[in-house]
Amino acid sequence: MRDLFRGELVRFTLEEPETRAKAEIRWQHDTEFHRLADGDAARLTSEKKIKEWSEKQAEGFQPERYSFSIRTLAEDKFIGFVGMWVDLIHGEAWVGLGIGEREFWSKGYGTDMMKLCLQYAFTELCVERVSLGLHEYNPRALKSYEKCGFRLEGRTRKDVMREGKRYDSLWMGLLRAEWSQMQSGDHK
Amino acid sequence: MKDIFAGKLVRLSAYDPEEMSKAYTRWNLNSEYQRLLNSSAHRIQSAKSVAKWMEKEIEELSLASYFFSIRTLAEDKLIGELNLDVVNWPGRDAFVGLGIGETDYWNKGYGTDAINVLLRFAFAEINLRRVTLTVFEYNPRAIRSYEKAGFRHEGHLRDYLNREGRRWNSVYMGILREEWMEQNNNAQSAILGAGNAAGDGG
Repeated sequence: MRDLFRGELVRFTLEEPETRAKAEIRWQHDTEFHRLADGDAARLTSEKKIKEWSEKQAEGFQPERYSFSIRTLAEDKFIGFVGMWVDLIHGEAWVGLGIGEREFWSKGYGTDMMKLCLQYAFTELCVERVSLGLHEYNPRALKSYEKCGFRLEGRTRKDVMREGKRYDSLWMGLLRAEWSQMQSGDHK
Repeated sequence: MKDIFAGKLVRLSAYDPEEMSKAYTRWNLNSEYQRLLNSSAHRIQSAKSVAKWMEKEIEELSLASYFFSIRTLAEDKLIGELNLDVVNWPGRDAFVGLGIGETDYWNKGYGTDAINVLLRFAFAEINLRRVTLTVFEYNPRAIRSYEKAGFRHEGHLRDYLNREGRRWNSVYMGILREEWMEQNNNAQSAILGAGNAAGDGG
């Protein structure tokens, strides 16, 4: 059996709003995680609000929006999330991911998550390219995305200010043909 | 100025529930029109309830559904209705429904022109891969019109309808983007001028 939602280290799940809320109120206090995942200012949201929000999100299906929770295969532990936003007209998907449980950083989990996203975007959503953005101060993410086949396509200069310094935003992209070639090659 | 919503005889305009519901209610008193358009039993609806339904549909408008009214270029007269439903985004396929409610405008190329405009929108604007429609066996005029626009017969549901004491097929027709591009020699999709199309990289 082939399971599109299962990688080598992680699998996609849909967690109950309560489980998500409990984890996310913990993660929002890890400011380094926030800095890496998001360009906005850190904010606190109550467990109740997060629960309501994820309940609402689970309600309706939108062909533009796909999000999944992530569990490890080994421990069956909920560690993070991925999201895909599809530009239906032009056949492009924007992808974003986060690993809230920091003991799972730097061990290949993010790369595995991204590979599952790419497979989903190219084979299920049938998009022609996948795009993402990241902060210049997140070289670990850059390396992981490069491993997945993304190419650096451009940057917005000095648009983010963190701790008194300005940083660039980086934009990466992967085309279907490039991804397909990797699937047939030794990358698989 | 190039208007992707304008054809040779008609243009597509935005759906105005108030105007459209009145026309729609009047058109639907014509049972022949109903037979050609719908497989369901003919019902009578008030303009008010139709307007309410249309307003709701428009409110929920998404990238997946498009409603247009069809107006003549010569008189700017509302003569028909047109809708496009993207049923499958990964496959990029949509269903089209077309009706010319004003019978004076039957058999004069208005429907074909409207479908040509719609195909240009479907392929050159929202980048679909195919467009599908169903048409009833007892509507040869529509079938001919769709054939003229480039649709091919893809299959049929046998004995799908029961009308006037006998059963009729419902015919599936479809057109692929490649076919449409070839048939239009790409010319219809050219909205960008030569200078722009060359790229804005300079």
